[in-house]
Amino acid sequence: MSEVHLVVTDPSGLHARPAARFVQAASRFTSRIVIRQDGREADAKSLIAILGLTVRPSSQITLAAEGPDADAAITALEAELAPYVGHVG
Amino acid sequence: MGLILISHSGPLVDGLRDMVVQVAGDDVPVATAGGTEDGRLGTSAPRISAAIRSALDAGADDALVLLDLGSAALSLEVALEDFDEAQRARVHVSEAPLVEGAILAAVQASIGASIDDVIAAAQGAASMAKIPRA
Repeated sequence: MSEVHLVVTDPSGLHARPAARFVQAASRFTSRIVIRQDGREADAKSLIAILGLTVRPSSQITLAAEGPDADAAITALEAELAPYVGHVG
Repeated sequence: MGLILISHSGPLVDGLRDMVVQVAGDDVPVATAGGTEDGRLGTSAPRISAAIRSALDAGADDALVLLDLGSAALSLEVALEDFDEAQRARVHVSEAPLVEGAILAAVQASIGASIDDVIAAAQGAASMAKIPRA
């Protein structure tokens, strides 16, 4: 299990294009990967799940992965989200 | 798999294809059939048939059709008569709203999801909230 806590800094939140890139990046890993926000959880490999989470500006999100390539997945996906997020704390 | 976008308007599906490619990338082939043969608003069974054929001939195992409204479904039905049973089995018709369905389906297809998952992603667009609720 690998996870990272992030805060969304982009003024548009996580909108369709970056969300689609994120889903495509997540699908390259075998681990189960989720984004959590406010106690809700979305499958990182499903665009509709990610958009359904409606990640807004200033939201705190957790990126979590579980599986054989969990660490690599978190590193790659954090890099994918880098233009839109900052670290918590 | 390939996507086929059908609308009464050519510019509408051309613009939608641009959006799909920008969001999902260009790995998923997108064929369009918008407007009538003489460039008016409407749907054309021959144009739909040609779009389906181009998707199947391009090597797609499956093709997902998204359409706008009204007679688009009737023209599609006529167009499908041009195909044999084996070909028709590869053509899936979605009830999803055209714009959201196309984008969600294309992204799911771009990650190599199964046709069933792609169909489900498109269908999910029908109940997706447009305006985030606090």
